[in-house]
Amino acid sequence: MDMDDRIRDYIFKIWIAFSAITVISVIVYIFGYIFVHGISSVDMEFIFSQPKGMPIGTEGGIFPAIVGSIYLMLIACLFASTLAIATAVYTVFYCDNKRIEGIIHLIVKCMAGIPSIVLGLFGYTLLVLNLRLGRSLLSAGITLGIMIYPYIEVRIEKILREADKDIIDSSYALGVSKFHTLFKLILPLYKRDIISVITLAGGFAMGATAPIILTGAVLFAPVPKSLSSPIMALPFHLYILTGEGISLEKAYGTALVLILILLIINILSIVLTITGKEHN
Amino acid sequence: MNNLQERIFKIIIRLLTLFSLLLLAFIIIFIFRESLVFFEVVPIYKFISGTKWNPLGPPDQLSILPIILGTVYVSLVGIVLALPIGVGTAVVLSSYVDERPKRVIRSVVDILAGIPSVIYGFVGLLVLVKFFEIKLFFPSGESVLAGGIVLAVMMLPYIISTCDESMDKMYKEYSQYSQALGVSKSYMVRKIVLPRSKKSIFAATVLALGRGMGETMAVMMVIGNAPIMPKLLSKTQTIPSLIALEMGMAEVGSLHYHALFSGGFVLVIMLLIVNILLYFIENKMDI
Repeated sequence: MDMDDRIRDYIFKIWIAFSAITVISVIVYIFGYIFVHGISSVDMEFIFSQPKGMPIGTEGGIFPAIVGSIYLMLIACLFASTLAIATAVYTVFYCDNKRIEGIIHLIVKCMAGIPSIVLGLFGYTLLVLNLRLGRSLLSAGITLGIMIYPYIEVRIEKILREADKDIIDSSYALGVSKFHTLFKLILPLYKRDIISVITLAGGFAMGATAPIILTGAVLFAPVPKSLSSPIMALPFHLYILTGEGISLEKAYGTALVLILILLIINILSIVLTITGKEHN
Repeated sequence: MNNLQERIFKIIIRLLTLFSLLLLAFIIIFIFRESLVFFEVVPIYKFISGTKWNPLGPPDQLSILPIILGTVYVSLVGIVLALPIGVGTAVVLSSYVDERPKRVIRSVVDILAGIPSVIYGFVGLLVLVKFFEIKLFFPSGESVLAGGIVLAVMMLPYIISTCDESMDKMYKEYSQYSQALGVSKSYMVRKIVLPRSKKSIFAATVLALGRGMGETMAVMMVIGNAPIMPKLLSKTQTIPSLIALEMGMAEVGSLHYHALFSGGFVLVIMLLIVNILLYFIENKMDI
């Protein structure tokens, strides 16, 4: 190595070390910041009581927002996974036309590229206004479902495609119908992986704000009684508390609770994948 | 009996698949139909070339050039900051870290991708914007720069995982030969791994750019939302934040309402262009 190259090598090493350190510091800083500031405002009362005070949110807790977020996640997962599993099963097991398969992939890719605010716009006109569902749990849940549909579809299709071909072929050879092969063999075998994917997608749905601003989230609502009630949601609540300058202390607490719930969801999903691997 | 079950199942699967695929058509038709009403009043070229956004004024004051530029500017700042750091981290991850810690770091990076954007906006507003105003005496901490930095952090996981994947392959392919030849690791990474990962670095850039342009919450909370010509250190506005902020106030069916849809339409077209670019990079380009 000549001198020039030695200097270049040196600069290269500084660059990659600096990059890695920056990334790690940013991660530690974000989690640390929210934890340190949020921990003092999170207690039993904060988690289990209604927002109170004037303006509302300055006192009390965030219980309706926690429940609202969980409901939204469940509806989004239910809606998205029904459609995503069907699409994946169709493309892998029923579709024999390569061109149609290509078109399906293209469409799913396009949907994944649509920004969440445009989905919110769509949910607002179609669900809230045209179908008269109003700003409600159902409208917001379905909009979030549309958002996570491509994510789930791509991953479940991958799981099905990588499924053990021998089992499928033997099953067909024994004269077992596709329906039975799917429901009695494939789906039970890869149950954990599939649920893991859906859980992770549910986490994304729970954290999203843009799609629900227009379709259902409100500043204050009690725990929703029906699908047509407007709802509170953690990310929207955090946005309102900060954006309107209502209460910084409560905002820190809300952020911490949101991050903790998402961490639990993430860990759950990882555990499911690992035990799924051992299971097989 | 079995046959009937099978047939019914097949029909259900087909219907559900068709429904999912039609959703995209619905989305596009709805956005287009609602924007068309506006484009009949204000032609599209005036909408994207005019510099005034005033929903209360006459129709010709509904145009979004500064907002389009703001959207692009914030994303570009994000990319410029995130790319070197992301690529550098991917190099370390693919070539300098052992298998076990590598897996841990990858899942941490995945978690970073899973943090909701509103949290990034929240931390950005309280830390970054405050820092700009108090420590650096900027007239306004809410700026293109603040938006760019927050976006950069959000783009990192995408860049790292896209680059790491291909670099990991390159490294595994060539490390034995270069070890046998007695070449140092950093020399090998600089001369082989990096140049050969050009394509995935490019793809990561375009992917992150698309994500950045479509991002709503994180950007909206730190850019100040003023529809003026963007400058690095002054307030700006992006299309997603414009829609998120004003849609709730716009009277349904008014010109303002339709103009916001037109904004969404322009955004989708911009992202389409970015995605077509990505498609060509992935399939056609040979670098």
